[in-house]
Amino acid sequence: MTATQPTPAPEVLRQHAEQAYAHELSALAAQDDRPKPPQWNLSPHAVLTYLMGGKLKDGTEITAKYVGHRRLMEIAVATLATDRALLLIGVPGTAKSWVSEHLAAAISGDSTLLVQGTAGTGEEAIRYGWNYARLIAEGPSEAALVESPIMRAMRTGKLARIEELTRVQSDVQDTLITVLSEKTLPVPELNTEVQATRGFNMIATANNRDRGVNDLSSALKRRFNTVILPVPDSLEDEVRIVVQRVAQLASSLQIPAAPPALEEVRRIVTIFRELRSGVTEDGKTKLKAPSGTLSTAEAISVVNHGLSLAAHFGNGELSAADVAASLVGAVVKDPVQDGIVWREYLETVAKKREDWRDLYKACRAVS
Amino acid sequence: MTLTLFPIRHHGPGSARSLAGALERLRPDLVLVEGPADANLVLPFLAHPDFKPPVALLGYVNDDPARASFWPFAVFSPEFVAFQWAARLDIPARFMDLPASATLGFEREDEPESDLHSDPLRVLAEAAGYSDFERWWETLVEARGDGGDVFGAVLEVMTAVRADAPAPAGREAMREAHMRQTIRAAQKEGFQSIAVVCGAWHAPVLTDLAAYPVKEDAALLKGLPRAKVTLTWVPWTHGRLSMHSGYGAGVRSPGYYHHLFTTPEHVTERWFARAARLLRGEKLEASSASVIEATRLANTLAGLRGRALPGLDELNEAALSVFGWDSDLPLRLIERQLIVGEALGEVPSDTPTVPLAQDLARQQKKLRLKVQPEQLEMTLDLRQDNDLARSALFHRLNLLGIPWAQERHAGGRGTFKEAWALAWQPEFSVRLVQASRSGQTVADAAGAQAIETARTSASLSELTALLEAVRYADLPDALPAALDALDARAAVGADVADLLSALAPLARLARYGDVRGRDEVAKGADEAPARVFRTLLTRTCVGLPTAAIGLAEDAAGVLQRAVDAGDASVRLLDDAGALAEWRAALLHLANRLEAHPLLVGDAVRRLRDSGELDSPEVERRVSLALGADRPGDVTSWLDGFLGHSAALLLHDSALLALLDGWLAGLEGDAFQESLPLLRRVFSRYEKPERRALGEAVRGGGPNRGEAVLELDEERAMRVVPVVLRLLGVRQ
Repeated sequence: MTATQPTPAPEVLRQHAEQAYAHELSALAAQDDRPKPPQWNLSPHAVLTYLMGGKLKDGTEITAKYVGHRRLMEIAVATLATDRALLLIGVPGTAKSWVSEHLAAAISGDSTLLVQGTAGTGEEAIRYGWNYARLIAEGPSEAALVESPIMRAMRTGKLARIEELTRVQSDVQDTLITVLSEKTLPVPELNTEVQATRGFNMIATANNRDRGVNDLSSALKRRFNTVILPVPDSLEDEVRIVVQRVAQLASSLQIPAAPPALEEVRRIVTIFRELRSGVTEDGKTKLKAPSGTLSTAEAISVVNHGLSLAAHFGNGELSAADVAASLVGAVVKDPVQDGIVWREYLETVAKKREDWRDLYKACRAVS
Repeated sequence: MTLTLFPIRHHGPGSARSLAGALERLRPDLVLVEGPADANLVLPFLAHPDFKPPVALLGYVNDDPARASFWPFAVFSPEFVAFQWAARLDIPARFMDLPASATLGFEREDEPESDLHSDPLRVLAEAAGYSDFERWWETLVEARGDGGDVFGAVLEVMTAVRADAPAPAGREAMREAHMRQTIRAAQKEGFQSIAVVCGAWHAPVLTDLAAYPVKEDAALLKGLPRAKVTLTWVPWTHGRLSMHSGYGAGVRSPGYYHHLFTTPEHVTERWFARAARLLRGEKLEASSASVIEATRLANTLAGLRGRALPGLDELNEAALSVFGWDSDLPLRLIERQLIVGEALGEVPSDTPTVPLAQDLARQQKKLRLKVQPEQLEMTLDLRQDNDLARSALFHRLNLLGIPWAQERHAGGRGTFKEAWALAWQPEFSVRLVQASRSGQTVADAAGAQAIETARTSASLSELTALLEAVRYADLPDALPAALDALDARAAVGADVADLLSALAPLARLARYGDVRGRDEVAKGADEAPARVFRTLLTRTCVGLPTAAIGLAEDAAGVLQRAVDAGDASVRLLDDAGALAEWRAALLHLANRLEAHPLLVGDAVRRLRDSGELDSPEVERRVSLALGADRPGDVTSWLDGFLGHSAALLLHDSALLALLDGWLAGLEGDAFQESLPLLRRVFSRYEKPERRALGEAVRGGGPNRGEAVLELDEERAMRVVPVVLRLLGVRQ
């Protein structure tokens, strides 16, 4: 395990946050004159600016990474500054991982110390494993130890990230307790321990819908401050998020199509919001809600998919026909129940809107 | 001769604390406070040991108590702090604002004040980026520790603000003139050092008295209305500190203010410690470690936002993040219990008040009833003297329009239980004053009120309800009036259904006497209710047969229920004459061909049950009814006749056979039409009853012999081979 980061090859599909926004981070660091917590690259204030966007004194424009309540990001940053672990909760697609990645990038300059939580995540993914060939050849030694990302974060004083904490088995979750309270990871086989250096902390994300799969024990809960990330408040916020993310993704995926018309995005976001809340935006018609979550992230992928269809098979401009296929795919997760929901929506809501004719026809054609 | 101004924020704990210190340093020989000048008489009560804020100064016009005003004070109100300080050192303290006799005497309501007028300091704090005024004050004032000339600074700010504001007009000009005149009078009296405590807005016009000619002030105050008013103290609640009060200083977080005022240091730590205790009490998780973390998070958040100390926003966000996990339940608890923190004040028992309120207080004490703002559920056992008296008190107060106790549905069996929900609201003190015009004790006032209601009630149902209320409230003196009114109203002409439902309370009265005492024999049945009952019954009996004509389906249903209630009342009274009269009326109804079939069926059933009609006669009527032209009429009739139990049909096989024959003989179309209606009749029966009926009809019943049909042997034989093959018997 070498500590040096390989410089990313230009053909990498998606760059890490600290690489994609390197210029913003360095501009912020240059301007930052407020006190920094130990080992932090930026002061809490600068981290907030990085997340919420703004303009620096030297004119550098910082893009908004999180569109929503500033209050929530303040709590998140303040939590990390008080050396307490942060847990981001929300329904799928509410930018939990996105926020956690950017927090790690801004604070430690490294968002790669990541453990992906699954039902199969074992203790060695959180503590350490062994290189068995070496273990058998040489017996237990430092050299035979395979560090987990968390152990590495402890050594280097950086932020570790755990995705989908509630999917991890309870007994594995509980190995975090010592790490979080005593900031140490014992290695009994070598009769040593790894003590966390200053700057180490942890950001975990968890899914509201997963509650009960592997709910955290109260001992572990107590070691986290929680921030609940909500779905976007207003239509305009959500449209903004979708447009911004689609533009970023399109540039990284090199989709040649022109940027999507705002109107088309607004229609998609409207459909998502209406189905999610079970009532039309004017509050007059009640709707059935589909089984999926219909998050902002899915709206982004619908627009993206539509863009690439338009670029490769269409005339380059995002049209109703381009989004229809992936729109239906995003809404109809359960072919029987969601199919009914979607048809009802098309007939009772979409059909009646004068300027939605094309979308209605396109959707009828594919569903 | 010096004049020192203390511009304060109404109900501001920060101002209150600073004021206490400043007064201690200044040691004035007179304290003047913004508030109605004619309330000086009741000021001595503030020094009483039993005086516990929140309280309000209540002023009302003697001959129209509905015109009333409140001036609420909490522990953390600077005005209250000033009076307390003065009382402790025996220094004279007075109110200086327009007297209540003038403000209540004005015809027009006070024009609403803008935020800037009523709470200019909050507007300033908001301008400085603080959502929580108190924390702004604390940062600016208390954190500096000296507290020296805060009030001087505030005065300077307000002078600048008012320099740009238009000159005061109307009521405001009068109030300020009155304050100046009061100060001048005090100076003339020879006080050397006068401290003036007033809302920040008014301070600038009180500093330099020479700038305002005495003549102009006197002219402004000329011809003020002089209403005859009474001023007194009443208990108040935190939740209503912001109610109409002469000034509208809104307090959304009184519990938090109380905490700020009473906590000398470690405000944040103590806040979270209290929150943790509260959550633990509710069986929610909240460890000391969480308190530490919440405090740290709140402090860091405040730092991140560039504030010196965490305010309510930071406290709430930290609590949500640390205690909340993924629900806001803990925060909601904290909000209700700590931030608002409902509390009811107390006033000394000898505070001047209307005799009615004193009587109520005496009874509350005697019956061991606690007066509190939060809702309290209570179940009374009317077999106990104490509970019976409580119940009577609650009913009397409700009659007086003071719904301190509201009746709830009492579960369980027996009529001796009553459930009540008690919650005292401070406005009740005004209602008490209003009600005191009716009488000096709760019983007298409620009685007088009931008589008044009886005199003015327009409808029979109102009077019936009143009669019940009077009975429950144990007001024998009001009873004759209510009865007479009922009698008179019934004579003028009323709906038969209303008359029928009025019979029930009357019957209970006549049968059990006018109270719910346990020794009904001793009380005896009064003559009057029985007499009124008979009169009412006569009127009903005359009207009933006619009332049953030309009714729609649902109107007939209403009348049927009323007949049921009336029937029960007549049987309850068990008076031979009344019974005969009632049955005669029912028979009359049953004989009216044009009466609604539902009611006719119902009447026949009642007459049959009471033995008035014998079986052959009933069968005759049934077959007559079943032969009606319209199937709708038939089912309506059956609906009325069979009622809600199948017992009659199950035990009267002749009747069942009659019905069965009628049904089997219906034409196809008529059968189709009557099926849903029949189904409605029969679906009301219990499942076992329906099954038993079905079995009886199918032939399981004992008396089905005569219904067996002749067999067609030839046709029957045709199925025999098939059945044999099915059974496996080969020929």
